[in-house]
Amino acid sequence: MPKCTIDGREVEFQAGENIVNIAKRVGVDVPVFCYHPGLSVVAQCRMCLVEVEKMPKLQTACSTPATDGMVVRTTSDSVKKARASTMEFLLVNHPLDCPVCDKSGECDLQDNSFAHGSAYMRSTEERRTFVDVDMGPVIQKNMNRCIHCTRCIRFGDEVAGVREMVAIQRGNMTDITTIDGLPLSTQYAGNYADICPTGALTLKDFRFKKRAWFLKKTPSVCGGCSKGCATEVHHENGSIYRTLPRVSPGVNKYWLCDEGRFLFNHAQEEDRVREVWTKTSSEATWAEEIQKFRSTLAQAGSVVFAVGSDLTLEEMKAIQVFVSQHAPSAVLGHFGTPGILTSSEDGPEDSILRMKSKTANLMGAEKLGFKPLQKASFDVAIVFTAGRAVLPELQAKHKIGVGLFITKEAERFDVVLPSLSMFEKDGTIVNHAGIEQRLRRVVPPRGHCKSISEVLMLLANTGKKQGVA
Amino acid sequence: MLIKRKAPWWNVFYLIEVISGLLITMKHFLFKKTATLQFPEERREYSDRYRGLHYIKTVNNVENCTACMLCPTVCPAECIHIVAEERADKEKYPARFEIDLLRCCFCGMCEEACPKDAIKLSNIYEMAQVERIVLEKDVLLDQRGGK
Ligand code: SF4
Ligand code: SF4
Ligand code: SF4
Ligand code: FES
Repeated sequence: MPKCTIDGREVEFQAGENIVNIAKRVGVDVPVFCYHPGLSVVAQCRMCLVEVEKMPKLQTACSTPATDGMVVRTTSDSVKKARASTMEFLLVNHPLDCPVCDKSGECDLQDNSFAHGSAYMRSTEERRTFVDVDMGPVIQKNMNRCIHCTRCIRFGDEVAGVREMVAIQRGNMTDITTIDGLPLSTQYAGNYADICPTGALTLKDFRFKKRAWFLKKTPSVCGGCSKGCATEVHHENGSIYRTLPRVSPGVNKYWLCDEGRFLFNHAQEEDRVREVWTKTSSEATWAEEIQKFRSTLAQAGSVVFAVGSDLTLEEMKAIQVFVSQHAPSAVLGHFGTPGILTSSEDGPEDSILRMKSKTANLMGAEKLGFKPLQKASFDVAIVFTAGRAVLPELQAKHKIGVGLFITKEAERFDVVLPSLSMFEKDGTIVNHAGIEQRLRRVVPPRGHCKSISEVLMLLANTGKKQGVA
Repeated sequence: MLIKRKAPWWNVFYLIEVISGLLITMKHFLFKKTATLQFPEERREYSDRYRGLHYIKTVNNVENCTACMLCPTVCPAECIHIVAEERADKEKYPARFEIDLLRCCFCGMCEEACPKDAIKLSNIYEMAQVERIVLEKDVLLDQRGGK
C-alpha cells in the first residue's frame, strides 16, 4: 500500500483517497466547509488548505488525492495564516447571531472560527441582508448566515435527485435559494439542515426547542420502514427533540427521510393513550383489565392475535410463546402496511432510502414464522402494535388493543392496554435485507404504559402468586 | 499540652484592669460612631458590584434577552428556566423566564455569561419572603437595578 506522511505521521492509504480522510485516521483534523463525504468535491470554500512538500502553493486537502511519499503539513505558519484569512472572509458577511441561531453549539462555522479564526474583526462595512423565502414545512432558511458552500445544492442534485436549490446572483450577493422560490419538494428535506455547516438551513420542527448542547444522544434504528436506517435520537429529560441520521455505509449512508426523522412526534402525541382505556368505564385499572382479559381468553371460542410487524423480534417471540402455551387454538398473524403482506411484495419506494413496507420488522416477523393476517370473523381479537402498523379491519365481537394508540384509534377497541413506542424499548429488528439491528430505549414511557412482555406475563400468571398487576 | 503560666503577684489588684476596660467601653460609647444601622430607616451604601436580586434589562420596553440559554447553561445552581419562542418583532425571545431564587447562590455567572447584557444582578438585597420565590418574567422585567 502507498504511504504518505501527515504532520510527521506515516499513514497507509488507498489510491484515490483525499488528504482530509487520511488525516482523520491519524487524528489530524483538517477543517472543512464545502467537503462532505457523501457529496461530490468542489473545493470552493478554501478552508482545508494544507501545505504539501514540493508543491509551490497550498493545496485543498479535500480535492487533493494523496500520492505515495507525499509529505503534508497542516500546522505550518502558512496554513494557519490561510485558515485565519479564510475565516475572516467568511465572517465579513456573517451576522454572528449565535445566541438566536439554532445551529449554535454544533456549528462548523462556530467551531472553526473558534479554533482557527480571530476574535477581532477588521471590517466595518454593513453586512448584506436578505429577505428569506419560505422553504416549505421542514426547512427554515436564514440566508444571512449562508457561506455559499453549496453542499445543499449538491445534496439535492446528487442524493435527493431533484435539482431544487440553486445559487443566483454572484459574489457578495450570491443567494442560495430554490428555483422560482418554490418550497422544497423532496421527501429528504431534513438532510439539508444536517449538512448545512451553518445555521442557514435549520429544521422548523426543532426551531428554538432546545440548544444543541443540552441534548443527550442515543444511537438507535429508525422504525419508519423496512430500510432500518441508523439514527441518533436526541433527547433530554424524557422528551425527544429530534432524530438525526447516523452514518451507516451499508444502509442509509449519511441520510434519513423526513418521515423517519419526525416519527418521534407520533410517540409524543398529546392524545396518546397512556392509561388503561375502556369503552365503558373511565376508571379502569390494570389489575381489573388483566383479570377480565384472562377470563375473556378462557371463555372465547375463536381468538385472533394480530401482531403488528412494527414490533421487535423479542416481543413477537414472546407473543408466539404465550399463544402456544395459553391459547393454542388461537389464530396468529401479522399486519403492517396495507397491500404489502410479505417481504416479497416489499421493495424500494424511491431510488434513495424509503421502502414500501412502512413497518420496520416485516422480515423479522417472517423469520419467526408469522403469516399475514387473513380476513375472517372472530369472537375476540387482540391487536399488538407499536404505533406504526396500520390497524387491520377486524371482524370481532370484542377487541383488545395492546400498544401505542391515539385516542381516535382507541375508540375502535373495547379495551386498550397502553404499551411502548419504538423509542421506549430495547429490541431487535430485521431490515429488508436481513440485517439485524438493535433498537435502543431512548426515553422512559410516561403514564402507565407496560411493555408487551409484561402484559403477557401478567396474563400468564393465574393469580396464584401474589403481588401482580 | 496545656501550659500553665504562673500569674504575677500584682494580678491580685485586678481593679486596675477593670477600670481600664471600662474606660475603653466608655470611649466607644461616648466618642466613636456606632457600627449598627437603624434598618430599614437607614440603609448602608453598597458597591455597584454587589450581586443582589436579578432583573432583565430592557431597551424601549423590549427585553434584551434573546433566549440563547447561556445563563441556564452556566448557572451552577440550575435555577434558571427559559422557554424560547418567536414573536413578530423579535426572532427569538423568552416566552417564559424563571429564576428560582431559593436555589440561586448569587454567583453572578449568569450576568457574566450573557452576550446580550440582559440578565443583571441589582443592588437589592432584601429578599426575605414567607413563601418560595420564583421570579417570573414580568417581575424580572421591572428595571430595578440601573446597572
Ligand atoms: S451559523 Fe454558526 S456562527 Fe453563524 S450565527 Fe449560527 S451558530 Fe453562529
Ligand atoms: S445554505 Fe448552508 S449548505 Fe447551502 S450553501 Fe449556504 S451554508 Fe452551504
Ligand atoms: S447568580 Fe449564579 S446561581 Fe443565581 S441565577 Fe445567576 S448563575 Fe444561577
Ligand atoms: S473543504 Fe476543501 S475547499 Fe472546502
